[in-house]
Amino acid sequence: MGASIELVGVHKDFGQLKVLENWDLVINPAERIAVLGLSGSGKTTFLRLLAGIEAPTQGRLTVVSQKTGFVFQEPRLIPWRTIRQNLLFVNEQANIDELLKTLHLEGFADYLPAQLSGGMKQRVNLARALAVSPDLLLMDEAFASLDLKVKVDIMNDVMQLWQQRRFTMVTVTHDLKEALYLSDRIILISNRPARIIHQFVVNLKEPRQFSSPELLALEGELLRIVCRD
Amino acid sequence: MKGLSRALAGIIIFLICWYILSLFINRVIVPSPAETLGLLGQHLVNPRMLEAALQTAWKVGLALVLVLLLGLILGLLLGLSETFYDMFRPIVMFIQAVPVVSWLSLVIFAWGVGWRGPIFITFVSLLPTAVLTTVSGIRSLDKDLLEMARVYRVPFKKVFHYIYLGSLLPFIAAIIDVTIGQAWKVVLVSEYLAGGSGLGVEIFNARMVVDSAGAWSVTLMACLLGIATERLVKYCLRGMSSRWGQA
Repeated sequence: MGASIELVGVHKDFGQLKVLENWDLVINPAERIAVLGLSGSGKTTFLRLLAGIEAPTQGRLTVVSQKTGFVFQEPRLIPWRTIRQNLLFVNEQANIDELLKTLHLEGFADYLPAQLSGGMKQRVNLARALAVSPDLLLMDEAFASLDLKVKVDIMNDVMQLWQQRRFTMVTVTHDLKEALYLSDRIILISNRPARIIHQFVVNLKEPRQFSSPELLALEGELLRIVCRD
Repeated sequence: MKGLSRALAGIIIFLICWYILSLFINRVIVPSPAETLGLLGQHLVNPRMLEAALQTAWKVGLALVLVLLLGLILGLLLGLSETFYDMFRPIVMFIQAVPVVSWLSLVIFAWGVGWRGPIFITFVSLLPTAVLTTVSGIRSLDKDLLEMARVYRVPFKKVFHYIYLGSLLPFIAAIIDVTIGQAWKVVLVSEYLAGGSGLGVEIFNARMVVDSAGAWSVTLMACLLGIATERLVKYCLRGMSSRWGQA
């Protein structure tokens, strides 16, 4: 069962800097949400609130979650520890070999992060998030720095894992196609201070194809909304 | 192989320069390399000199262990807590600024001539370096890694083991690197001025009879021991570092 999230009148300021303004949002268990906005608009701050790293300045935030997995924009792996140790760091009981197999990393358990490519490190970043068996998976521009092929492969893995585990998933991105592919609902936000300006329901049949005509048509529709708003 | 031959070439050049200098300068100031090295050879098989070397070595060893242990503990406290840092930094800076001779008078008043003085003086002289280097290590920790650990609610004990100690390892290596050579020097000076036994006392004895070759041969012996200790500790540290990655 996925986590549930509720925000009522949530504001987040850093001193004089207003980052989030009056967010009202409900995210249901096992729902896939993408937050779409420009760089620096406050998307990461929203994820940090959900992860408990930051607290709202004003308003009520309720996150009903047992375990949260966070896929950071950069891998944040402990450089002097092997991949296996990096995963055991967050959960001693995790079945590392199975996780690595799921994410096509079998045979790399005893490698150090520096010995892996950028895409592989990002897979380990995802594996670490999954190692805690999360009911809430937060992804912060997790695929932004990857080549298209690697990005699509990892996103396919994420979607397959979601089909199996049904965790609640919140992705922040500035990539329209990525948002459409990974979510049931897209939250469009304004520039800082970020406000929710539009919610876009993604009606795509499963399993999704990254370059399907339906997805491309929705991309055009979403683009019109983004440009209008 | 190339490095070794270059090092040997450097030593030969040094010996030639030393020899040339000894031809022109009074032997009381610059004894010949042959005389000094001959005496060094005798020292290496002389039980009294070996006993003196052992006396100095254990003082260096104990002082280094104390410096590392307390330096790391205090450095961690100061690095992790701003309050501790603000409170104790002036004291650390003060200890760092106190000249060795001032400590010397203190230890002579407290314990007279003996083994305690050299250990204490070495300890207080090197402790600030260990503390401040450890603080730098803590301060240079990757904040993103700490935030990652916070997101996953990893217990502090594990974070300390996996992240803090791992990050500190190069700084611990730097502390050993800096302090090991200094420790030999400070112990020798302290023994020379207030020690009951050891190589510093042997240098003092050589000076008393104006035996400059004797003083330099003991100095060379101390240098050889210092380099050997440094190599040994670095070798152990490399082993520890590789095990750390697999622990």
